[in-house]
Amino acid sequence: MKENKGEKKISILLEDLNSLESYARDLFSFLPLPVCLVSSIGIILEANPAFERISGYKIEEIIGKPIESIFDKGEIEELSRATFEKGFVEGKEINIFTKEKKKIPISASTTLRKSEEGEIIGYFIGFFDFTDIKKTERELGNAQTALLNMLEDTEKEREKAEEEKNKTLAIITNFTDGLFVFDKENNLLLINPQAEDFLKVKAEKIVSRPISELSKIPVLKLLINLFGKRIKKIFRKEFSLNENLVLEVTTVPLIRERKKVGNLVTLHDITREKMIERMKTEFVSISAHQLRTPLSAIKWTLRMLLDGDLGKITKEQQDFIRKTYKSNERMIKLINDLLNVTRIEEGRYLYNPIFTDIESIVQSVINSYKDEIKNKGLKFEFKKPKKKLPKVRVDIEKIELAIQNILDNAVRYTLPGGKVTVSLKHGKKEIEFSVKDTGIGIPKDQQNRVFTKFFRGANAIRMETEGTGLGLFITKNIIEAHKGRIWFKSKEREETTFHFTLPVKNSLKNF
Amino acid sequence: MAKKILLVEDEKIMIDLLQKKLIQEDYEVSVARDGEEGLRMMRETKPDLILLDIVMPKMGGFEVMEEMNKDPELKRIPVIIISNSGQPVELDRAIKLGAKDWLIKTEFDPQEVIDKVIKQIGK
Repeated sequence: MKENKGEKKISILLEDLNSLESYARDLFSFLPLPVCLVSSIGIILEANPAFERISGYKIEEIIGKPIESIFDKGEIEELSRATFEKGFVEGKEINIFTKEKKKIPISASTTLRKSEEGEIIGYFIGFFDFTDIKKTERELGNAQTALLNMLEDTEKEREKAEEEKNKTLAIITNFTDGLFVFDKENNLLLINPQAEDFLKVKAEKIVSRPISELSKIPVLKLLINLFGKRIKKIFRKEFSLNENLVLEVTTVPLIRERKKVGNLVTLHDITREKMIERMKTEFVSISAHQLRTPLSAIKWTLRMLLDGDLGKITKEQQDFIRKTYKSNERMIKLINDLLNVTRIEEGRYLYNPIFTDIESIVQSVINSYKDEIKNKGLKFEFKKPKKKLPKVRVDIEKIELAIQNILDNAVRYTLPGGKVTVSLKHGKKEIEFSVKDTGIGIPKDQQNRVFTKFFRGANAIRMETEGTGLGLFITKNIIEAHKGRIWFKSKEREETTFHFTLPVKNSLKNF
Repeated sequence: MAKKILLVEDEKIMIDLLQKKLIQEDYEVSVARDGEEGLRMMRETKPDLILLDIVMPKMGGFEVMEEMNKDPELKRIPVIIISNSGQPVELDRAIKLGAKDWLIKTEFDPQEVIDKVIKQIGK
């Protein structure tokens, strides 16, 4: 009976043991973490399915293998030593080599396994795959590096931009012209020290204010009046605050990528140029006046000699004196032309315009050329409308001079047998005067210089050495001062026609 | 009796020329070389006509006319301006100050001076 009891107990214990073993095995198999048991001499004794999965080896291939054939030799030796010394290792990073020779980073933990007698029989290694974490870590690392690089690049770009900005600012600050920069809403963005100095304003008081506010400041109002609150384009407009400062103002729209981003206003100091110009004009004016006195003495003396007031002279003497008298007249004409030019340049040219009948002025100029036209054997015609022309407001003396200059050229540069035609027409709002000739014409390549000072056509110089080259310059200024237009058409060796217009309702501002 | 003309002019050769021309026309000519002398002489000689230059030393033609306008006796004497420049502004001022006529030296001949003189006071 006792024996039976004992047997029964053993069989229960055996059963328990069996179920414990199966429990352990199930757990071992189920465990998602790879685990293996290594003997004290480094032979793999057992491994679970998770280990099988990660290593790529079958269980039967693993068991009996030396541990270093799967793990990195150096790393696993160190891990084993540490395990035997301490009894366990936690979370040590080592590498495992799969059947396909793939290296997988893992975090390994170990614990010693002892027999019932307390004898060390080996150790367990459990670990988890690090690859993903490593990958993430690597990616994070890359991302961090990329980010750092980007930051560095940005910093560099910023420095570059800063440097560019400083350069631009240095240029603007040290520019010899005064500068105003407006944004596209016409708020003042910046003004450089030169502009502050020209206008005696302080940047901090005006920057970032809209143009409408700025135009309430008296000195800026005068400037803004030049280009308006909407900043229209102007080019080299003269602006003078006082005698000692003459500025040339230009506005330019600032365009970036085809979009208008604002306006730039430049103030260029031309005080010195103006002064030199004035001195030059004054010099010419004074010397011309001075020249007139001796010229009139010569004129009168010669005239009296010719008239016999100073005694009888021979025919030959008379001839010479007549020629000298003519030369002197030419000199007087040149001086008069120069004086006219200086008056034009001084901007005080037109004088006392009155309403008058243009036809009678034209007729009187024609009359003064009748003899010359006849002597030269030219055909002549004066075409005028049947209806009386309205009166125009002109400076008679100047208009006479303009007509005379044009007619004089026509008569002078038309060969004998040629024809000169003077016409007067009534346009819509203007009277048009023209002189057509069949003369030598103006060479095509010189036509754009016809109205410039001292211009004479190359063919005209060959034909006649006389002529100042000032006539048409003066004429153009006279016509434009009357708000008229002047132009011409010419074909060399064939014909030339000069036209000018005078407005009928003439306000003639700025006289 | 010959008519008396006072010539106020600083340029020697112009004086010589005009004097000769005027004497040929039987006028009695006296000469002053600047404005001050001119004023003094017109008070002394009481001329029938004055030929007056504009730009002169000491006193110019305009000032001379201003002075003449203060004196009723001198104011009556007709003045012909002989100008060098002939600028409209200048001529306008001369007319406003009472000049009867004017001429620009480079644009007129001596004979035209005589014509203008005759027009004012006759032979």
